[in-house]
Amino acid sequence: MTNAIDEIRDSEMMFVIGSNTTEAHPIIAMEMKRARQRGAKLVVADPRQIWLAEMADIHLQLKPGTDVWLLQAMANVIIEEGLVDQKFIDQHTEGFDRVCAKVADYTPEKAEQITGCRAEDIRQAARWYGTTRHAGIYYTLGITEHTHGTDNVYCLANLVLMTGHLGVRSAGMNPLRGQNNVQGANDAGATPIFYPGYQNVTDDSVREKFEAAWGVPLSPDNGLNLNVMMKEMAKGNMKAVYVMGEDIVISEPNVSKVEAGLNQCEFVVCQEIFHNETTRFADVILPGACFAEKDGVFTNSDRRIQRVRKAVDPPGNARADWRIICDIARAAGYAMPDYPSPKEVFAEYASLTPKIAGVSYERMEKNIQGLQWPCPDPDHPGTPTLHGDGPLIGIAPFQEVDYRPSDELPDNEYPLVLSTGRTLYHYNSATQTRRDPGPVAKQSQNFLEIHRGDAKRLGIKHGEIVQVASRRGVIQAEAWVSPRVRRGCVWMPMHFAEQRANLLTNDAGDAVTGTGEYKVCAVRVEKIQQPVEA
Amino acid sequence: MNATNNEKFTITINDTQCVAFRGETVVEAANRAGINIPTLCHDSRLEPAGACRVCLVEVEGQRRMQPGCAWIVQPGMVVHTETSRIDRHRKVLYSMYMSDHELDESGLPVATANSNQLRQLCETIEPIVLAPVEAPRADRPGDDNPYIEFNPDLCILCARCTRYCDEVEAVNAITLSGRGSETTIATAGQRSLIDTTCELCGGCIDTCPTGALIEKKAPRNLVQLGTDKRRTTCNFCGVGCQLDLHVAEDRVVKVTSPPPGETLNDGNLCVKGRFAYDFIHHQDRITEPLIRDANGQLQPATWEQAIEATAKGLLGVKERHGADALGFISSSRCTGEENYLMQKLSRAVFGTNNIHQCAAT
Repeated sequence: MTNAIDEIRDSEMMFVIGSNTTEAHPIIAMEMKRARQRGAKLVVADPRQIWLAEMADIHLQLKPGTDVWLLQAMANVIIEEGLVDQKFIDQHTEGFDRVCAKVADYTPEKAEQITGCRAEDIRQAARWYGTTRHAGIYYTLGITEHTHGTDNVYCLANLVLMTGHLGVRSAGMNPLRGQNNVQGANDAGATPIFYPGYQNVTDDSVREKFEAAWGVPLSPDNGLNLNVMMKEMAKGNMKAVYVMGEDIVISEPNVSKVEAGLNQCEFVVCQEIFHNETTRFADVILPGACFAEKDGVFTNSDRRIQRVRKAVDPPGNARADWRIICDIARAAGYAMPDYPSPKEVFAEYASLTPKIAGVSYERMEKNIQGLQWPCPDPDHPGTPTLHGDGPLIGIAPFQEVDYRPSDELPDNEYPLVLSTGRTLYHYNSATQTRRDPGPVAKQSQNFLEIHRGDAKRLGIKHGEIVQVASRRGVIQAEAWVSPRVRRGCVWMPMHFAEQRANLLTNDAGDAVTGTGEYKVCAVRVEKIQQPVEA
Repeated sequence: MNATNNEKFTITINDTQCVAFRGETVVEAANRAGINIPTLCHDSRLEPAGACRVCLVEVEGQRRMQPGCAWIVQPGMVVHTETSRIDRHRKVLYSMYMSDHELDESGLPVATANSNQLRQLCETIEPIVLAPVEAPRADRPGDDNPYIEFNPDLCILCARCTRYCDEVEAVNAITLSGRGSETTIATAGQRSLIDTTCELCGGCIDTCPTGALIEKKAPRNLVQLGTDKRRTTCNFCGVGCQLDLHVAEDRVVKVTSPPPGETLNDGNLCVKGRFAYDFIHHQDRITEPLIRDANGQLQPATWEQAIEATAKGLLGVKERHGADALGFISSSRCTGEENYLMQKLSRAVFGTNNIHQCAAT
């Protein structure tokens, strides 16, 4: 997020796209509700009539995968009607002319044909966004989990730049991060192309700095992202994986291929708190500790580094994960320092990472609201709003984008579009939430939201167990005939290990990030034929 | 809007000059000056209700006492929060509350696992003994939701829970229903909360001043158990809510939010953050290292054996197929330090940049 979470309450307009905020980020949604009650405008773009859409001024119920058309049409309106911030564009950006030329063809009328949203609604949303100063964009995986996810993000960034909504309180460009520490994991360098703090793996001076700090030669080549790793594993090129705290056999797209890959691996290590679908393939299982059993930090969506504190001991012989990793490093012959606690690990990490160099455990004890990076020195107060003095990179480039359809579109054989996602009550592979009575009482088994027109055509009743098939797999789910989904579209959560939605999804990945296309794949829904009683 | 953006002026509270901002209430200005005005129905996240009458103050120029939680400050206003008239008012008011409340053997409102602010207020007065009110306030005996329990005998009808459910969580699952002494906190048709729009966030418990709403899961003898509170960060989504884990006998027995205004979640939590902690002590937790034997069965092992087997297995693959035949999948659920160490393991120990986590998914 370019802006802080507590700024949301003072918004004058919110544009929420591809984010089911009330379910996936309930406490951020509370801030949005508060802003709404104070009179802020709310525009929601989502193929489903999510809860937030019910309280929106405009709900743009677009067809899945047509985001580029919707966003470029909004840009078209903003440019046509002269709502751009020319001063910001002149001072801080480049390439605006090319984007003007590109979006000239993306008229709201044509966009209506492709997205299914009314041209007048697109115009109104664009006008509000273009004319409101404290207007923020909020998005989640509905934007990124596409083969054109990067294009979607570019389109949003173009809107932010052309209207000067950067470095302004209660505005900006705000991806809401899905996991407790997905921001922190990226910050810490758990990514194939960056050392900690987004320092390039391929930059020689950076590599030399880390070689000096760690005392060993390091690889100068970019590594493989997770999506490519899974594909290389299926091809037999990746021979060993060490999986810590992720159930890849539930959470990756097209999981049959992942299973085949794991079967071919010579060596699989899982570091986990529960047995899950992936530990079935493990040669060694290392029992780790959950968040209540260890010290450390998590970094949230608004770049806020906050403490995690040990409250209880891990069960049995389970151990804090940071200790396990250090032990393996030593057993493999590396002189890993003998860190007494995570505090010293953090100090080493911060010393190599300019963005967080000013953060320390001592400061976090004093700042109970955490510290938001960039925080480059011990006297720096942290940065709630990014880009306050213009874009951090100096001049921000506009990006020209062409619409590309999703990788797999519906056809006669697989006529419906499936999107997957998360619900309020469960969390990802649900090893934690399915062990608590409330989530189980609310949602005990897999379900499929389907439009009543489609249900009627297929002879499916609400509550009936149906079969859902894609080119990659077949599973069952309880049909929920729901007014929330568009006709021709179905939606399913990804939480249920015994009926895994990711047996169906497409592992085609975004060209830049490798993120899988969880939001669009073609499926067929069928009644389950009951055997005839003799 | 944010009061501190507004015009600033001075008011007088109890002969002390206090800073006040246009649009804020007497209670807000008094709190900033460190002057405590007791309240029961006030919650900074909610619109003022003026329902409980505990915060009545004297404002010069006003004939009647006025509710400090709802009375808007004016430049030059003179307020008194401790006078004999206010003392008389509190004595009568608290005594009336006590006549309609479950009392313990000492004659005070009962203490609950979540404390009872009414009890604390009543300790400050010599109560007038009034005849107990017959209040046939309806319960929801059939409510089988696993988390939220309502005890009508402790309810003072301040409506913080119903206002929270409306104004903050905005699901309107509970409401005030009935009239007079029968008024209660109800769901539509007195259904179980599970079968309403309730999202089980538990904010009603958090805001309840008397403990009429409490966590079903938490032990009732929490006070005697003597819990420790541990401030930490929630492990579910990416909002980063701060939690206080209540620990007794090395177990997490309850989770609450820090008070409103203190951390970014402003006193709020969702169903997962507040209630989904059973997994921590679940019997299914893996409690010892396991190594797969020649027959494909997982066998318990010592840490030395498991660490050795892991290092050997990974080094063997590296030797046979090169470092880039290894893949390290770190975790966005683990700490920053652990992710730092995992990428260091991948890069410095095994020599590959094949390190990622589910940020791509």
